Amino acid sequence: MKPVAFDYVAATTVEEAVNALREPGAKVLAGGQSLVPLMNFRLSRPSRLVDINGVASMAHIEVRERELILGALVRHQQLVEDPEIRRSLPVLSRAAQHIGHWAIRTRGTLGGSVAHADPAAELPALLVALGATIAVVGPEGTRELTAEAFFEGFYTTALAPSELVTQVKLPLPQGAVGFKEVVRRPGDFALAGAYVERLGSGGAVTWFGFGDRPRRFSVREWPSDPEDRRHVWVELVRNVPVEERDQYKYELAVAVAEESYRDAGGEE
Amino acid sequence: MAQAMRPQMMGARVSRVEDPRLLSGQARYLDDIQVPGMLEIAFVRSPHAAADIIYMDLEAARQYPGVYAVLTYDECPVWLWDKATYEVGQPVLAHGEVQYVGQPVVAIVAEDRYVAEDAAELVRIDYRPRTPVLNMRDALHDQPHRVHAHTPNVFFHQEYQTPGFDEAFRQAPHHLSATFRTNRQTAVTIEPRGTAAMIDPASGRLTVYASTQSPHRMREDISRLLDIPEHLVRVVVPEVGGGFGMKANCYPEDIVVARVAQMLRRPVKWVSDRTESLLSDVHGRDDIHDVEVAFDADGRIIAIRDHLMADGGAYPAYPFSGAVGETSLAARVLTGPYDIPHLATVIDCTYSNKTPLGAYRGVWGPIASFIQEGVVDRVARYLGLDPAEVRRRNLIHDDQFPYRNAAGMIYDRGSYRESFEDALALIGYDEFRRQQAMDRQQGRYRGIGISVFVEPTAMASSEAGSVGYESCTIRIEPSGRVTAALGLGPTGQGHETTMAQLIADELGVNLEDIVILHGDTDSAPYGGGTGGSRSGPIGGGAALVAGRQMRERLIKYAAHLLEAGEEDIELGHGEAWVAGVPERSISIRTIAETAYTNVRRIPEGLPIGLEVTARYLPKRPVSFSNGTHVAEVEVDVRTGIVRVVRYAVVNDCGRLINPTIVEGQIQGGVAQGIGAVLLEALNYDENGQLVTTSLLDYLLPESTDVPQMIIQHRETPSDGEGGIKGMGEGSLIASPAAVANAISDALAPFDAFVDTLPVTPDMVLAMVQRKGA
Amino acid sequence: MADERSVVELTVNGRPYRVEVSPRWSLADVLRHRLGLTGTHVGCEQGVCGACTVWLDGEPVRSCLLFAVQAAGHEITTVEGITPAEGLSPLQEAFHRHHALQCGYCTPGMLLTAEALLRRNPAPDEATVREALTGNLCRCTGYQFIVDAVLSMRPSGGED
Repeated sequence: MKPVAFDYVAATTVEEAVNALREPGAKVLAGGQSLVPLMNFRLSRPSRLVDINGVASMAHIEVRERELILGALVRHQQLVEDPEIRRSLPVLSRAAQHIGHWAIRTRGTLGGSVAHADPAAELPALLVALGATIAVVGPEGTRELTAEAFFEGFYTTALAPSELVTQVKLPLPQGAVGFKEVVRRPGDFALAGAYVERLGSGGAVTWFGFGDRPRRFSVREWPSDPEDRRHVWVELVRNVPVEERDQYKYELAVAVAEESYRDAGGEE
Repeated sequence: MAQAMRPQMMGARVSRVEDPRLLSGQARYLDDIQVPGMLEIAFVRSPHAAADIIYMDLEAARQYPGVYAVLTYDECPVWLWDKATYEVGQPVLAHGEVQYVGQPVVAIVAEDRYVAEDAAELVRIDYRPRTPVLNMRDALHDQPHRVHAHTPNVFFHQEYQTPGFDEAFRQAPHHLSATFRTNRQTAVTIEPRGTAAMIDPASGRLTVYASTQSPHRMREDISRLLDIPEHLVRVVVPEVGGGFGMKANCYPEDIVVARVAQMLRRPVKWVSDRTESLLSDVHGRDDIHDVEVAFDADGRIIAIRDHLMADGGAYPAYPFSGAVGETSLAARVLTGPYDIPHLATVIDCTYSNKTPLGAYRGVWGPIASFIQEGVVDRVARYLGLDPAEVRRRNLIHDDQFPYRNAAGMIYDRGSYRESFEDALALIGYDEFRRQQAMDRQQGRYRGIGISVFVEPTAMASSEAGSVGYESCTIRIEPSGRVTAALGLGPTGQGHETTMAQLIADELGVNLEDIVILHGDTDSAPYGGGTGGSRSGPIGGGAALVAGRQMRERLIKYAAHLLEAGEEDIELGHGEAWVAGVPERSISIRTIAETAYTNVRRIPEGLPIGLEVTARYLPKRPVSFSNGTHVAEVEVDVRTGIVRVVRYAVVNDCGRLINPTIVEGQIQGGVAQGIGAVLLEALNYDENGQLVTTSLLDYLLPESTDVPQMIIQHRETPSDGEGGIKGMGEGSLIASPAAVANAISDALAPFDAFVDTLPVTPDMVLAMVQRKGA
Repeated sequence: MADERSVVELTVNGRPYRVEVSPRWSLADVLRHRLGLTGTHVGCEQGVCGACTVWLDGEPVRSCLLFAVQAAGHEITTVEGITPAEGLSPLQEAFHRHHALQCGYCTPGMLLTAEALLRRNPAPDEATVREALTGNLCRCTGYQFIVDAVLSMRPSGGED
């Protein structure tokens, strides 16, 4: 399990990185916690790795009145530990705690998770749940995409081969956001997970862990009766197509949505 | 210094002498062996479950810079084949066909592993795929066809039944039937397998470093298969990072590595990566049991009938097939600790296009326990009786020992009933039952599972080979320090500590003055190695016998030099003295000096020097350890997630050498049992591709999956040396049944039983939904 | 793609090294096979087992998922670096006392994770210890004695 040979470019600025990425077969190396295993399996065979860990301008954490701005190089463990993030967007810290294990979180980056677009990952789903925007830069310049537009399917995004995720803007939610996922072991990718936002009498549910990407559904009014809410979950989740062997996940989805709903409401 | 003041090492919680080197990163495992000029091997493995090899183009690989050799069967025409037992053997590199995904086909020898893997990608092989044989029940009937055209798929068949079985079974008032399925698992030692080989430049001998449990057996295999006289082969086992039975075999890669060292006269190494491990380490536990049980209205079990089937994979693992081990032994201990008079078994082991089945800790035991304890719980639920009560009614009574079970196995004395009652008390069984009823009303599904187990240990024949004895050489050096060598192959069990404890007591020397050698066929006396829970009772027995012989010699010296009677000499703290007259003493060091350098003072009749070799063959063909595990689980019926929340063990492995080490073994085995029930499965798709080729797919228990365990010991001594019984496997024999039964118990309101391992969340949800809440 | 080598300067356990590497060589391979620091073990090369855990600037990371070229300019610490010149560290002693290791293969990674935890949180509760160790697989011990050893390091000596 050794990777194919590649040439290595350590970028120190976004411009250097973008330039280096023009080479066909080049790939960005951020935390490397998903990419390097794939390279070790020789499933990913980049001819050039553009290491962006030295790009200082992409590691920022900025809390504004209405939004949280995070550089793509912010590590998962920073999301867990940073006091500003814990205060302004606690659900982000809580969700990040569930990513992999400690040694994975110390390296793994927000931008890497976003670009990798694993449908079972916690962060892309939260970006969809909160309506975040993702800034990317490429040879043509910078553009911003909504999370919903960015994630296109299984491990596929709107990112062009020579583009780079630079930062994420997360609007701070007006309402309360709950989080729940089902895993077989801590740190595993979720079998099913849900964020539920409660704002006034309505809100939204965002599921992940099944289907090809995180899916968000608005709900105008939450029924107060748990049994009625169950019908809402059952109705909505059927909009997420899954493979035959994952049919059972609809059950899990209903369970996590309800728990996430209660989590958002501070109910037991 | 009275005799009573001597510290008794046997039974003491001694911290291990192995630990400092392991803790400081100084230990040397196989991949740490690096010598100048060492080459590395990567294997090209079969991507097909079954295919003919049409054509191979090796030229590009051979031309790749840094490549030293590319080998196929033609360069290494060696078969792992026990022709006396099996119609089929495995060529170490595929010969004309491939029979499972991961089978070694071509070996690339290169300057390092990176280059070797580059060149492996350049090998072009044209295959003509065949329809793979993947389903055990079909394979029994040679469907869709034979794996090996010249011989039927069933390669082992055996039938047995107790006299009068049919009548007893027919006349019983109640009958139940169930099918039990265990899915493929494997040991997943955290250190993968590996082999290194080199020609010793001085002697021209072949030295093979092997991550194995049986050093002498490995030497024999290499010697025989490569036709090198045994005295010209040395096998050295470095630190081994876990074995669990999986490292008891001789593998194709071992032979190829040795052959390459011979061919190229260069040191060479192969270390398995994790994907190779999951593909090519022997698998275990691929069994189906069709079981029927007959019982009376009180829950007394009268008869069990079982059709045992195991998928042995494409070839019999060398030199023994795990499928035969898993079934034939399960059939002999299927009644477990219960007094069940009648048994009828039919065994069928089949070939398939999957990785060969070998040993994984417990081998047959986890399967037999899963069935035997599953049967008891089914009887209890059918009759509306408490499962603990049904066990009480069936357990063997103390006055029945030595007990001959329905398959003819003789159980030596144990604490079957006591350990069972102790374990229930330990977990608070009655209190749990009260709480369980209340929990259920609140939608919480907790369950308790009991597993009373027997563990055949110290068997004359086991995966460690047919060597029923073990050997120990003890040498007291001129300094009075002790060197002892055994033929064991420890993989983390702490033999350097436990064997030293036994010898320290015999010789009256301090533990730190003893060094235990093992794992080098040049220094260790011939032995069977480690496996089948034999090292404690048989290896320990050899240490005790050798220790006693040396003790007798020391006493003769002391009596002679102190001018006292032998019967008056006592030994301790590195000294010998006359009982009651401690000032009349002599140090072991002085005795040793005498023995080596002052030879005129050696007592008449004794040889020069202090060295003995003893071999110990237990009188009994097998000694049974026993005990009871009780697991408590909580099942989330909305998500299918199961948590093991409490766990209690009462274990009886005879006299304990080191209780702490025994507890470590138990805790590790229970964790593996939790993995076996909740997480671990090697899955093949419909094309025979193994789809669980990484540790993201093959899930191992993590620290949060294993609860705190409460462990109690009982000590019913064996009648072998030291009263020691083996215990390496009992924890994994018992734990799957305990956890599986606990899940069944939690899901009793849904009328569900676990019949397949592992139990995944989707299976739990299906069990809940099938019957409705 | 040519497998060109370059010289990198690494700092491992406080000692500077100049070593010629290929960009594709993992830090684990370079530590083990170029610098002779074989206490770091390799168990899966995909970041799951944790046997190769080392510290990068004091934080636990997987050395199988880091290329050695990336470690230039950072402080790397391996099990050899947390072992005193004489004897064992207090945590290593605790592992010894509690029988927190059997085959020893996962042990260096376990020690580095546990030591990093204790330096951040000298009095973790059992759940915290277990959570921190989830990324280090052990096949021998069932984890209990490892958890006991780490808990014994608390100022209260293991009591909650």
